[in-house]
Amino acid sequence: MSEQVTITIDGAQLRATKPSSVLDVAIEYGICIPHLCHVQTLTDIGACRLCIVEHVRNGKAVVTASCTLQVEDGMVIRSNTDRIRRLRRNLAELLVAEAPNSRAIQDIAVRCGVKEVRYPWHNESCVLCGRCVRMCNELWQAKALGFVGRGKDRHVDFPFGVRPDFCKHCGACVDTCPMTIPPCDGPMERGAEYLCLRCESQLSMNETFDDMCVQCDLGKGFQCARVSP
Amino acid sequence: MPSLASLEALSEMRQEVRGRFASVKTTLTICGGTGCQASGAASAIDALREGLRQRGLSETVHLRVTGCQGFCEQGPVLVVEPGDLLYCHVRPDDVDEILTRTVAEGEVIDRLLYRDPVTGEVVRTEPEIPFYRAQDRALLGGNRRLNPQSIDDYIAADGYAALGKVLAGMAPDAVIAEVRAAGLRGRGGGGFPTGDKWAACRAADGDPKYVICNADEGDPGAYMDRSILEGNPHSVLEGMVIAAYAVGASHGYIYVRKEYPLAVEHARQAVEQAREHGLLGANILGSGFAFDVEVARGGGAFVCGESTALMASLEGKVGEPRAKDVHTVREGLRGRPTVLNNVETLANVPRIVSQGAASFAAKGTAGSKGTKIFALTGRVRNTGLVEVAMGTSLRTIVYDIGGGAADGRTIKAVQTGGPSGGCLPERLFDLPVDYETLAEAGSMVGSGGMVVMDDHTCMVDVAKYFLEFLQGESCGKCVPCRLGIDRMLEILTDVSEGRGRPEQLDLLEELADTVATTSLCALGKTAPNPVLSTLKYFRDEYDAHINEGRCPAGVCKSLVTFTIDPEKCAGCGACLRACPSQAITGTSKQPHAIDPDQCTRCGICRQECRFDAIQVA
Amino acid sequence: MAAETLDAILERRGSDRDQLVEVLQDVQEADGYVSEAAMRQVSERLDVPLIEVYRVASFYSAFSLAPRGKHVLTVCMGTACHVRGAPALLDEVAARLEIGEGGTTDDGLFTVERVNCLGACALGPVVVVDGVYHDHMTPAKLRKLIRSLQDAERKELLDA
Repeated sequence: MSEQVTITIDGAQLRATKPSSVLDVAIEYGICIPHLCHVQTLTDIGACRLCIVEHVRNGKAVVTASCTLQVEDGMVIRSNTDRIRRLRRNLAELLVAEAPNSRAIQDIAVRCGVKEVRYPWHNESCVLCGRCVRMCNELWQAKALGFVGRGKDRHVDFPFGVRPDFCKHCGACVDTCPMTIPPCDGPMERGAEYLCLRCESQLSMNETFDDMCVQCDLGKGFQCARVSP
Repeated sequence: MPSLASLEALSEMRQEVRGRFASVKTTLTICGGTGCQASGAASAIDALREGLRQRGLSETVHLRVTGCQGFCEQGPVLVVEPGDLLYCHVRPDDVDEILTRTVAEGEVIDRLLYRDPVTGEVVRTEPEIPFYRAQDRALLGGNRRLNPQSIDDYIAADGYAALGKVLAGMAPDAVIAEVRAAGLRGRGGGGFPTGDKWAACRAADGDPKYVICNADEGDPGAYMDRSILEGNPHSVLEGMVIAAYAVGASHGYIYVRKEYPLAVEHARQAVEQAREHGLLGANILGSGFAFDVEVARGGGAFVCGESTALMASLEGKVGEPRAKDVHTVREGLRGRPTVLNNVETLANVPRIVSQGAASFAAKGTAGSKGTKIFALTGRVRNTGLVEVAMGTSLRTIVYDIGGGAADGRTIKAVQTGGPSGGCLPERLFDLPVDYETLAEAGSMVGSGGMVVMDDHTCMVDVAKYFLEFLQGESCGKCVPCRLGIDRMLEILTDVSEGRGRPEQLDLLEELADTVATTSLCALGKTAPNPVLSTLKYFRDEYDAHINEGRCPAGVCKSLVTFTIDPEKCAGCGACLRACPSQAITGTSKQPHAIDPDQCTRCGICRQECRFDAIQVA
Repeated sequence: MAAETLDAILERRGSDRDQLVEVLQDVQEADGYVSEAAMRQVSERLDVPLIEVYRVASFYSAFSLAPRGKHVLTVCMGTACHVRGAPALLDEVAARLEIGEGGTTDDGLFTVERVNCLGACALGPVVVVDGVYHDHMTPAKLRKLIRSLQDAERKELLDA
């Protein structure tokens, strides 16, 4: 089923082909909506919530994740309102406070306008974005990894905690993981975490041109569709 | 048992069952619900059966074991019909006297009568008991009239007559119109107009369509659905069949949390019985309409009360919610149109069809029609299930029905809506209980849990309790819920342990707004409610913790000190023996003392002391 | 786990992938916990990836991945029980048996679990011991109950 529809994002009328997500269409047209758990070739799970937009329907603006929102003809989307930016900034702040020990996460924080972290630093090595799990289950089909446990206990693991013999050793899980890109000045020790803000030169541009790509290196080795080679 | 192949057959069966009870002079109803079972009802029931058999009374005296009546604190409860004489706390030892004096001679046994905890007056019959008198037990009252394990009882009480009426000549749209006119709204907490939900499912494309009864009832402190499913499972089943007919569904599920084993059993039995009688399956009552139901158990996850998570669980997956940009009425179980209704919602349907929408809509307020069952629990004298018309005030429920504060304390607040709801202070108790009013006040009607809190309850601790609950129950998929709840809890822990700073409360409010707006599902979206409502109405308690390092209710362990009042201490040593940290010293008959360095403030000594000598400051 | 038991379970439930949660519940009831071996068998018989079975078993509170004690003490920590002092019951267990929620004593006699609400709120605090509901529990009553179970165990060992 391949249907052409027209949707509006931030006032711009765009052609899209069903089935597509709003995020897919935005990225295709170069409208930068920050995201973490979205990967081009994998299913979207709407876990990180960074890609939130306002979906305007019946006069009401509902905040929802654009990666799981399928396009419908006549859809009206706002991706960059003050409210969305504030919410996104708060989400990015939560993420970087949780796992600052990654350049990718620090870059996301900059891109989303985080200026300070108001929570005590944690130093976790996984943000549960699920990229590795989906790489393993959908692309490489080894089905050796999964989300195990619930709530605070949720973590990524092999069955019974042991790498099974049907793991294909493809390394895709590691390649796609945002935590494997170390911060510019090296790994952060526990107790010595900080908000990097290295991309400051680009940050000032970000104030004036909200949706400009800040060359945050989110994409290098991280397969962000937004990076222009 | 021949299947009922037509409406006439159903009618005939009804007459036949009623006829069977013609020779019965007296009926003894005893509650066999989970609560009364916990109070030892099983042995009392056995004693009654044996006693009746021995006296050869089994023909003239009918023993009816009913489902939950909701008067749990007084259980096991026995009611004698006719006359509605009510006995409380019935023990196997009382059975002999009951049979000899009450049943045989019509004498009343004084010591078994209900004593009102407020006035001390002795009350003989059920309708006179203040707890019952102020209620409108339109739905719950039915529990006393039947044995939930008997489809005969249900049919004798006009059961399945509504289904008969529908299949005899109501078009599906007419059924939906009736439910709409009644103004029935989802009783699980969402309050969504049931008729609209059915209409949307009917209009959706897809095959097969499903009807699911949500009996997951995860809100701690709420057990209305348990009592309906345990006590009158056929009423739920009948509601489901009518719903299925209205929307065009062919399959259904009753999803019961596994923590309710009796409800699971009774639901299964009811389905079996309905199938045997041709009330479920192919060609129901000879009408040509086919619908069948399966009972499924929850796996122990609060999040599975959420519709998409529940459906994932039915598909054999983890209970992780998904985005609801396309609603489950269009794409639900296995991607098909699905109606998900709460137990109480469905149980109301047969009555609406039989008695007409107008009689249902005659009660309640303009926006919230009908009656609602609440589970009134906590620091209140009369705890139990309370059914009242929507629009009844909190004050009526807590004081007139609930009997006011327990143990001579002062009531401070009532928490409604479970972990998704909020706390309302005593000064707002004149508010009517309806969907809009409670939501505007910062709480919600929710599924019906109503927990009463007094001056010994710390509101910061309450907010912390709910966040801890949600932290364990969150599926963990999305950032705002998983990390947001964690950070809110971090702040509340700081406050309750004396490390709170004023600016943390501002951060708490901003974080709460982010979690509420960006979370993927209703668990996350409503998680901030207990925090926000306590901040709104009990700011003074937060301030005391932060600015004075004091917990006014004497609950937060880091901020209180336990001491022994030497004037009151009798030196009995009970606390010394009970203390798990060996923090109490003292010699016999001499006042004892607590070592503050060893004391963990667990409160066990305070519970042991018979002289009220343990002080908490 | 005996293959017969799983066979009997699947006989009743069918080998539909949708039945995974129900099948694991039956296994839990039959064995008292869900073992690695059981999970492997279920994965094969229902044709569900092993990681999926492990996910489901680890997600739901109904499943215990380790054998439980002879006596299972389930403490209700619902709101109504909480405001009536239920946390003190867990403190009592921690003090007497030195285990936290979800833990099992070294001698394999007790497992203590918490449950979020049993729906017996008017009778709280409630503790379920081996399927029997105990109402209006206090730390003292719980201590007595634990001691009586320990005494019964000692007697059984002596008589054996």
